[in-house]
Order: sequence, then C-alpha cells, then structure tokens
Amino acid sequence: MATHTRRRSERPGEPGALLDPLQGVPTLTAPLSILKTEGLTVRFGGLAALNNVSLTVPAGEIRGIIGPNGAGKSTFFNCLTGVLRPTSGRIIFNGEDIAGLPPHTISRKAIARSYQITNILPGATVLENVRIASQSRHHNWSMLRHHRAYADVIDSARAVLADVGLAGKEEELAANLSHGEQRNLEIGIALATEPKLLCLDEPTAGMSVAETHATVDLIRRIARDLTILIVEHDMEVVMGLARTITVLNYGEVLADGTPAEIQANPRVQEVYLKT
Amino acid sequence: MTARPAARPTPPAVGYWIGFTVVGILLVAAPLVLPPFWQRFATEILVWGLLAMSSDILIGYTGMVSFGHSAFFGLGMYGAAAALLTVTPPSLWLAVLYGLVAAGGAAVFVAYFATRLRDIYFAISTLVFSQIFYVIIFTWTEVTGGENGLTFSQPRLAIPGLWSDRFTPATFHWFVLGMVVVSYLLVRRITQSPFGMVLQSIRENEPRTRAIGYHVERYKIVAVMLSGLFAGLAGVLYAIQNKFAAPDFVFFVVSGEVVIFNVMGGMGTLVGPFAGAAFFLLLREGLSRFFTEYYLIPVGIIFTLMVMFVPQGLLGFLRRRLNP
Repeated sequence: MATHTRRRSERPGEPGALLDPLQGVPTLTAPLSILKTEGLTVRFGGLAALNNVSLTVPAGEIRGIIGPNGAGKSTFFNCLTGVLRPTSGRIIFNGEDIAGLPPHTISRKAIARSYQITNILPGATVLENVRIASQSRHHNWSMLRHHRAYADVIDSARAVLADVGLAGKEEELAANLSHGEQRNLEIGIALATEPKLLCLDEPTAGMSVAETHATVDLIRRIARDLTILIVEHDMEVVMGLARTITVLNYGEVLADGTPAEIQANPRVQEVYLKT
Repeated sequence: MTARPAARPTPPAVGYWIGFTVVGILLVAAPLVLPPFWQRFATEILVWGLLAMSSDILIGYTGMVSFGHSAFFGLGMYGAAAALLTVTPPSLWLAVLYGLVAAGGAAVFVAYFATRLRDIYFAISTLVFSQIFYVIIFTWTEVTGGENGLTFSQPRLAIPGLWSDRFTPATFHWFVLGMVVVSYLLVRRITQSPFGMVLQSIRENEPRTRAIGYHVERYKIVAVMLSGLFAGLAGVLYAIQNKFAAPDFVFFVVSGEVVIFNVMGGMGTLVGPFAGAAFFLLLREGLSRFFTEYYLIPVGIIFTLMVMFVPQGLLGFLRRRLNP
C-alpha cells in the first residue's frame, strides 16, 4: 500500500486535477477540458461510422457513452487510440491534435483503453501482463539485465494489481483467470501505462452481478486520478457512474447531458425503444 | 477444464546450471574422446545449432518465422571470405567482424521491409529477399566466384599481439564451443531482458503491445538484426571450418532446415534448436548409410510423426523452466 500511495502522489496535479490538469495553465472557473473532438468523422466507403462528432470532456470527469449497436461507440474509441485514422475532424487531447497518430504514440501521450473483447497476453502471468505495460515507460530497450532486476517496474505493477483486486494472483497464467478477473486485468494493463485519460469499452460485459458491483467500485476508485470515458450497455452501471452521458446514434451525437436529463429525453427514449 | 497448473513452477536454477555444466563438459571432452569423423561432426552440430538458435529469437520469442536465415548465414560466410582473401595476413577476428557486418547489414535491410508484413507474408518476404541474395551471389562471378564460390586458407587462432597458432580440429572445436557458449548466454540474457519481454509480448498479442506504447516495428527490426548477427557468426565459423564460401548455403533450403531444427528441438527454448540440429544431422547421417540419396524420405516421415506426436519438440517440455 505504501508504493501505491507513492505512485499516486508522483502523478502531477493530483488531486487538484479536477480543476487543473495542465500545470502552469491559469485555472478558469469552469474545469478545463482534457479532451475535445471537433467534427470527428470516419467513413468506410459510403457509410459514415462517425459523423461530425463534437464533444468536450472536462478533466476528471467520468463520461458515459451509450447508444444502440452500431452507433459508433467502438469506432470513436478506435479513433481516440489511433487504431483508426479519422476521415476528417480533430481530436484535441491536452491541447494537442492527436488525430491520426499511431497507437504507440497515443499511448505515450497518456491515453489508455480497455477492450470490449478481453485483450490480454494469455500465455503470460498476471504480473507479466501488467509489468510489460509499466515497463513501456521505463527501461524498455535495456537488453543486458534480467527484467526482474528492475524493481521499480515490478513494484508499480504490483501496486496496480492491488488496485484492481488481483493481489495474490500474480503468478497465475492470465489465461487461467476467471472472466471477471480477466476484465479487471484488462483495466490493470491500461492503468499501468499511467494514463490521464482511460477509455473503458464495456468493462462489465459478461460479468456476474457481484463482479459488476466490484468493478463499478474499482472504476470509482481509479476515477479520483483520471478522466474516464466509458462505453457501457448496462444502463444501471453507466447511470450510476457517469456525471455526463453522451448518446450516439448512427454515428452522430443524439444527446448530451446528466443521467437524469438523458433518461427524460424523448429522442433517446425513442431510439432505445425502437431497438 | 478446471485444471490450473501449479501457480508457480519454481524455476530451479540449480538444476539448470548443473545441466549446463554437464553438457558443457561433454562438449569440451568431445574432441579428446571421439574419432576424427565424429569430432568434426560435433563441431558441425554446434555451428548449425548456433544458426538454429539465432532463428529461435524470431520464431520462438517474437513469433515471426524467418525463411531468410540462409542469406544471413551465407553472408557471414562470404564476409569471412572477403576478410580472409583481401587482408594479409588473414586474420580470424577480422573475418568474424566482416561476417557480422555483412550479415547484420543484410538483416537490417531485409527487416526494414519485411517487418511491415505479418505472419506468412513476413515469412515469404524473407524468403524472397534471401533468394535475391542467392541470385546476386550466384551470378556475380567476378566477386563471389559464382557457382564455384570462394576458397581460402584457414586463419590462425590468435590473440592479437600476444600469441597465435594453427588451428587443429580440437582447438577449432573448442573455439567454436567458446563462441557458441558466449552467444547462447548472451541471447539467453537478451530474451530475459526488458527488451526480450517486449518481443515475447509481441508474440503473445501484437496489437495489445502496440496499444500499451511500444513501437512494434522497431523492436522487430532490432530482433531480426540480432538474429542475423548470430546467424552470420555461424556462417563465419562454418566458412573457417571448411575453408570455403559457396552459394549453396545461401539457397533457401538451408532456411527450411533451420526452421525444421527449431520445430524438432523445441521453439522458444534456445537449447532446443541445438538438440534439433543434432537430432536431424544424426538422423541424416545414419539414414543416408542405408537409404543413400533417398534418405530424405524416412527423414520426412520421422519429421511428420514428430510434428504430430511431439509438437513442442524434443526439449519443448522444458520451455517454462528454460525461460524463468
């Protein structure tokens, strides 16, 4: 737990990140936006998977993104993380346009994601899954020392595993974890890259009720230090977590607002009733 | 399906080093006890094992199958030939240096293009590049000697400025053994290093490795270069042992054999490729006495049976122990 606190406090701007994620920038009364998309569009041939999506996410917020299947939620994440190059539009992260940068560069700008379909290193241990992610920021080209000689990397990996509730499972093969544990490992891998913005793609998919509760608690805990975008089909989860919700439909922003506003919005009700 | 393997297979480092020492002593003693033919055979196994181990960096640790190792091996041979034919007096260490530069350079060149492709496309492109090198070497007779290759005399075993002596089969064996042991320990350390863990992460899940911030192509290029350097070293040793460099060794069939050594011995173990090389060469030696030029038929049948019944190779069962 000692390392855990140390790691947190080493991050710049905590816990004041809510107000001032960009050190040295004068604080305004409204929270600064950490992420802003302007006219983000992705076309696959004639089909617009995303059409002119503009949204602003203040630093420190948990933003829910919902919408029917095929609304463009995963496409939106793929653009943010560099897997897809947007056809047009800008993605301003921390004051810098990151649209079209490759995934490894975006990761280094401190955006991390977890995947809808579990995406881990199945043949490696749980610790190694997280250690390799921590290592991506330190000593990653070192060739002549054993990887276990770098205690700093291992310590931060263990701290992350404690955070996501996998302490004690370090030496298990990732493939042997239960589904719920693998989903949390997925979040752990993302956290280990020390992100400022974390994109969670259906983090509770396929989880039992108890596991879902634990994961919601986990997300609340880590949200103290991060800005989080969360795509989720479980309405209870997303309404409970998010301060603001953006609804996508056919690649366009249908509505934007607090959970209460979204639930009361007739257009949103129409979309969800139709599908 | 609840069978979880024991949480921690406690890597018994002691057992590993005992095995390492025993095999080392046997290999050191080999030239003292074996008749000349088998003595030479043991040296050859070490050279081919080194080539196969270099390929294991890619096949076993990075998840890339290279069919281009004949080119790196061959360029090591021709690099050594260049040093031995152009510089007087011929120097052993200059031959090693030239061979490494030629093979490493070729590896970076091939990797720069081939690493843009994945899986079978990577394998095919390395094969194409190695065949390009083959055609150049085969046809550029004025420089490479074309079909006949190049012959030269063996350099002396020397510690520059201090001591030198002619190679005997025994001292050559020990020289090769020394190079192989140093290479093995170096590659083993590299595969355990942070860099090596990135390679294994690429093997396990390339998109994920990219997503956590690794420039995957760069790691692959460096992996191919390292692999090419050790393949080139094997080529240098083979050239010095046989006092020639020939285009046959650049031909892709050699690359195929290298992959077979890996599959037979156990990929991702580094020592498996040596076992695979030894097994294959012994098999060929034994069977060719009965089947003459048709020896490949029984070899092929045995290989097929091994892939079916021992898919992880002879030493594959040690894989987790060998990668602590």
